[in-house]
Amino acid sequence: MPASASMQDIRTRYEQARAALSSPNPNLDAIRPQLSQLKVGLIQLAMETEQVLADPAFLELQRSVIELGAELSIKAGDIVAFERYLAQLEPFYFGGRLGLAESKVMYPLIGLNLLRMLSENLIADFHTMLERIDLEQLQTNPFIVHPVKLEQALMEGSYKKVWQARSEVPTPEYVFFMDILMTTIRNEVASCVEKSYASLPLADAKSVLFFSNLDGLLKFAQEREWTVSPADKRITFKAAAADACAFQGESIMKQTLGYARELERIV
Amino acid sequence: MTSDNTAAMEVEATPEQTLAETRRILLEGIRAQRVDISRSIRFVQRGIAAAETHYIYRALRTLSSLRKRLEPSVLADAIAANAASDSAPATRDCLNGMLALLGQQPAPAPRAGACEPEVCLFLGLLVLLHFLDSGRHEHGVELSETLAGVAAGSQRRTVDPVTSRIYFYYARFFEVAGRLSDVRTALLGALQAATLAGMKETKAMLLTLLLRNYLHYKLYDQAERLTAKSGFPEDAPNNLLARYLYYLGYIEAIQLNYSQAQMHLLEATRKAPSNTATAGFQQAAHKVYVIVELLMGNIPERSLFRIRTLRKSLLPYLELTRAVRVGDLTRFQDVVNRYESKFLSDNVLCLIQRLRHNVIKAGIRSINVAYSRISLRDICLKLHLDSEEDAEYIVAKAIRDGVIDATIDHEKGFIQSAEAHNVYETSDPQLAFDKRISFCLGLYNDSVKAMRFPDSSHRKELAYAIEATRRERELAQELENEDYDDESDDDGMDEDL
Repeated sequence: MPASASMQDIRTRYEQARAALSSPNPNLDAIRPQLSQLKVGLIQLAMETEQVLADPAFLELQRSVIELGAELSIKAGDIVAFERYLAQLEPFYFGGRLGLAESKVMYPLIGLNLLRMLSENLIADFHTMLERIDLEQLQTNPFIVHPVKLEQALMEGSYKKVWQARSEVPTPEYVFFMDILMTTIRNEVASCVEKSYASLPLADAKSVLFFSNLDGLLKFAQEREWTVSPADKRITFKAAAADACAFQGESIMKQTLGYARELERIV
Repeated sequence: MTSDNTAAMEVEATPEQTLAETRRILLEGIRAQRVDISRSIRFVQRGIAAAETHYIYRALRTLSSLRKRLEPSVLADAIAANAASDSAPATRDCLNGMLALLGQQPAPAPRAGACEPEVCLFLGLLVLLHFLDSGRHEHGVELSETLAGVAAGSQRRTVDPVTSRIYFYYARFFEVAGRLSDVRTALLGALQAATLAGMKETKAMLLTLLLRNYLHYKLYDQAERLTAKSGFPEDAPNNLLARYLYYLGYIEAIQLNYSQAQMHLLEATRKAPSNTATAGFQQAAHKVYVIVELLMGNIPERSLFRIRTLRKSLLPYLELTRAVRVGDLTRFQDVVNRYESKFLSDNVLCLIQRLRHNVIKAGIRSINVAYSRISLRDICLKLHLDSEEDAEYIVAKAIRDGVIDATIDHEKGFIQSAEAHNVYETSDPQLAFDKRISFCLGLYNDSVKAMRFPDSSHRKELAYAIEATRRERELAQELENEDYDDESDDDGMDEDL
């Protein structure tokens, strides 16, 4: 077993990895082994001496390494890994923060996590997370305000605003999730459109569904099984099946039998 | 001494006499208190002897009246009387610890027999109340920890009600001291022990305390998981159930599970007694309830805001409801800004911010009812929306979510409301009836289950039944004999023939 690295050693290696990630065109594959080495080093250090866990310098280094991992996974587009890193960061970010000062990347990462929840349609988790963020940050921090505004627009149905919000991202990392969000929105809009319009001209449908060209729209229409008539240049939607009024014999039978049984017990 | 003289004395009493008078009243009070405490302790002892919890409850019921006039010296005497040397070491140490914390020199008292843990905990409860009221929180923290230790050592059914109260004050002292997170492990351990030992009331209490603990630190995920993984005891006292339901409803509201939240909050308000003592709970529960109702798209009853104990504290919520009902976004924003600090202290600001789209929905719904056809531009103006495009998306979403029944004409830019159809053609009324019928049947079943019968009455019935069978047997025997006679008669008749 190799002798474990000292804390100073790990810090230097962390700085190197951080510098590599911050460069304009980072080589992600090169950073990944560095990151796992850092993690192994930290664990070895923690296993050797228990009291290092109470050392703020060690905790801060640990937090920085996890943050590095989170940022790396965003750059690589690995959502599962990102989620895992954020779960690890939770004790550092909420509650007593383990006695550490606030991290610089804390709010950008929380904002990204919020955006991830939106893009995966985890609205309940989104709101649970919001409850835990300070109100002041909630109203002023640009990294948090952006997803909050997005969520409001989404809930109202102002999809145009959501579409515009793509160009107003606070950091370039947000674009990754915004792109996923756009697909979600397009599906949302499509399900709204199906219900609320009888038919729609192709040109209008293109703008309503945020398509830049007709081909994309036609393909999308095919996926959702809409009928497109090339002659009129219109999309016609299926009428909703009106079977709500059908007589539900079985459930009524079950209910009546249930009443009979209960009454039998009373009399 | 003549009667005139006594009258005069009563009118103008000298300072010494007033002093004597107050002292007499004081002594009387102390004597009454001593009697009350020893009576409560006797109740506890009788409860232990008969293994019946309702004697214990009777002793616990005197707590609130004792609390108001608690004298440390009387308490110390009572403790000293019970600190006999032949009780279990943990109990004895605990009692001696109480005496030390009280800092009173008890009068030498005749020693009673061994002190049961229940009695020790009951006395401990009184001391805790004294510490809480006199603001000696550090002492309370220290004592409640020892008491929790004693409580954990004994798992009898009769300890259950006392233990649950001990844990309540245990958590309370730590909360007052601002160290709520320190007790979490202890409470979780106690919850495990209580569940294994089948101590229902303690388990119910610990669950509510843990939920409170989690919510205090906004750990909604943990709280939700705790409720999902553990069942709340069915026959827990109503006040605990009400508290539990309130926390449950709040957690569900945070996690957007509005229909469940509404049900639980409503039940919480109904289970809690509605007197002035519980006004605080009623207010807190109703605040969340009103918001959840609004989030679900319902408008709470106007009469709710007129209830005397609620009227004042629900005023901001009434204005909020008005704004949502009309569907006026600017008015809504105005109310939120005006009462921001109030909503923040009630911990509901985030919930209220979710209401924004409900306001818009309410607006769209009222427009849809009023107009059979309206242009998107007019909707935009009426609801203060930013653009017609937004209005179109918003209306489309409202149609999909079933808020309104209408179609949009994109080219001409208007929305056309669908014909209102007859509800009685659908199965909705039938479902509503079913809901009510099952509620009535459930109520009946619950009340049958909740009926209690005095213990001895079934014995009387049993004796009566034994008597009846005996008489029946006699009767049968007589009949048999008669049969025999008849037969002999028949025989005789045969012979006659």
